[in-house]
Amino acid sequence: MYKRILSLVFVSLCFQAGQITLQAQEFKLLDRTVQVHGFFSQGFIYTNDNNWLTMNTSQGSAAFTDFGLNMSSQITDKLRIGAQGYDRNLGQLGQYHPSLDWAVADYRFNSWLGVRGGKVKTTLGLYNHTQDEDFLHTFALLPQSVYPTDLRDATIAHLGADIYGNISLRHRLGVLSYTAYAGHRSDSLYSGYPYLASQFGIYYSRIGGLQYGCDLRWDTPLKGLLIGGSRMNEDVTGQGTFRNPINPGAGLVPYSEGAKADWTNQFYGEYILGKLRIDSEYRRYLRDQIIYTLALENITDVRGWYVSGAYRVAKRLALGSYYSRYTITSVFGGALAAVSPNQTDTSLPANHIDDKVITARVDLNKFWDVKLEGHFMNGYGSSTYPDGFYPQVNPQGFKPNTDALVLKTSLNF
Amino acid sequence: MKNHRLVPLVAVVVFFAPVRVIAADIKVIANGSVKADAISANEVKSVFLEEYNSLRDGTHVEPVLEKDGPVHQAFLHEYLGGTDDDLQNYYRALVFSGRGSMPKQLGSDAEVVAYVARTKGAIGYVSAETIGEDVKTLTVRGGNGAQRRLLTQVEPSYPDTLKRLNIGGTVRLRLTIGPKGNVESVEVLGGNPILGESAAAAVRQWVYSASHSRTIEEVSIPFDSDR
Repeated sequence: MYKRILSLVFVSLCFQAGQITLQAQEFKLLDRTVQVHGFFSQGFIYTNDNNWLTMNTSQGSAAFTDFGLNMSSQITDKLRIGAQGYDRNLGQLGQYHPSLDWAVADYRFNSWLGVRGGKVKTTLGLYNHTQDEDFLHTFALLPQSVYPTDLRDATIAHLGADIYGNISLRHRLGVLSYTAYAGHRSDSLYSGYPYLASQFGIYYSRIGGLQYGCDLRWDTPLKGLLIGGSRMNEDVTGQGTFRNPINPGAGLVPYSEGAKADWTNQFYGEYILGKLRIDSEYRRYLRDQIIYTLALENITDVRGWYVSGAYRVAKRLALGSYYSRYTITSVFGGALAAVSPNQTDTSLPANHIDDKVITARVDLNKFWDVKLEGHFMNGYGSSTYPDGFYPQVNPQGFKPNTDALVLKTSLNF
Repeated sequence: MKNHRLVPLVAVVVFFAPVRVIAADIKVIANGSVKADAISANEVKSVFLEEYNSLRDGTHVEPVLEKDGPVHQAFLHEYLGGTDDDLQNYYRALVFSGRGSMPKQLGSDAEVVAYVARTKGAIGYVSAETIGEDVKTLTVRGGNGAQRRLLTQVEPSYPDTLKRLNIGGTVRLRLTIGPKGNVESVEVLGGNPILGESAAAAVRQWVYSASHSRTIEEVSIPFDSDR
């Protein structure tokens, strides 16, 4: 009898899920149509060993929530305005401190020239500007070697302006799309970098700075093939206080940092053939960090790449897999060189993360999906740069391998 | 009782069952404010992907879609590629990153015609049989080149008199090709008028692969008196 009830409940749930619809809202304001859209996602992660992404995942953690709401309106044929609020909680990060995700005025002169100003999502690779929108992706977690979710604040948006456009090439050679931008990046104090620094006794009061760069992508004549590259330069500074862990009795002293070099290169390709989607990206990030005006130096060189494939086997079911490789080296100068040995051997688990991932995504309807994902990781990359594994939530030390089960659901309208 | 064990399995099969695509002939329509009478297939794609908000002549344009159905599926297949889910995700990516709006999506040909008729710059698509007096039908140039293959080619005759007098050159023609692949009309764009007549007579017998809509192709035919 109870099996029968279970069967009925299951069938009922399937059909109910298929019938639930969320409608995007729109209303008239001053004779203009205003569109309203939103999203919500909730995840759960369980790991067998190391705690991951600042959560207590070895016990199973559901501290993995985010949501956003936006409004936009086409004011004239060429001018559109809009804004989105965003909030999240990821273990120790975010902590439900809301932020203005983007707020833009976008003026499009024609197809090959447009300008958008305000707080603008930064174009960097295939997915930087859509990394928060879980429902757009097959995977519950984008490859962390290229899109580290604990570092989203570092690349997600800038307060400034973009110029952009699409140029249709002659002789059916496809379309070139370009974006060039400049602005100010401002990190949340509840993001991965300040959290990592707190283990060293550094407490930021502000972190951010100039960010400028460009992106060029080519929608090639081969149907479904897109290739491109992005470059981002930054001049980021941080201020705060420092408490020497060796001599805490000395109290808090002012802290400041900057960089002699800070840049990111990213190259990418995407191929879509029917229900098959294959992506690959490579990102290199280099920061020559200067602490206390040349007294201490730390050159961090982060390289990440991935290859992913996803196939929609049925209207409501997609399967995917990716391999992601992350390496980091740290070279120290000034007074730091005397106490911190250089870390340049990327074969060590402390300097790399290899992640093999399999995913199943079920679309219950057009607005609601559920994902089940397995991560099989080697290495933990814990160093002077955030990469998912933090000593604060792993006080017992790290183990070389981590398997993770990720369950995530998203709604959007 | 055994049958009850099959119920969840049947539910799963139904839930994940692929959707069959039904072919339909379509045409692209526009509001009267759109100056152009013809538009390239690449422009259609760019307009519906919100890459273009204006055509080359400066006319503002705004895409209007049909909700999922045979006409929408035919349009996707002909001009955009990918599935409706891909397209919806594309629009959502624009909407949630502040780079675009969700386009109007209507439930029937009649609703699309009515919306296009009253909305400045609107471009939509409907089934080929739909009659819309207050909208204009755009001819699509080029079509999907990869799918509009030339199946039957008839060589033009070279008039003896012109060949003897060494009068040759290249004739350029614009062809309007129907959904079934037949050449509906031929316009001589350039070249010797007599050679143009000959070329046009041959080209009218050409047959292309079928498509969901009427398309335009431009072809050049050389007449070499030395051969």
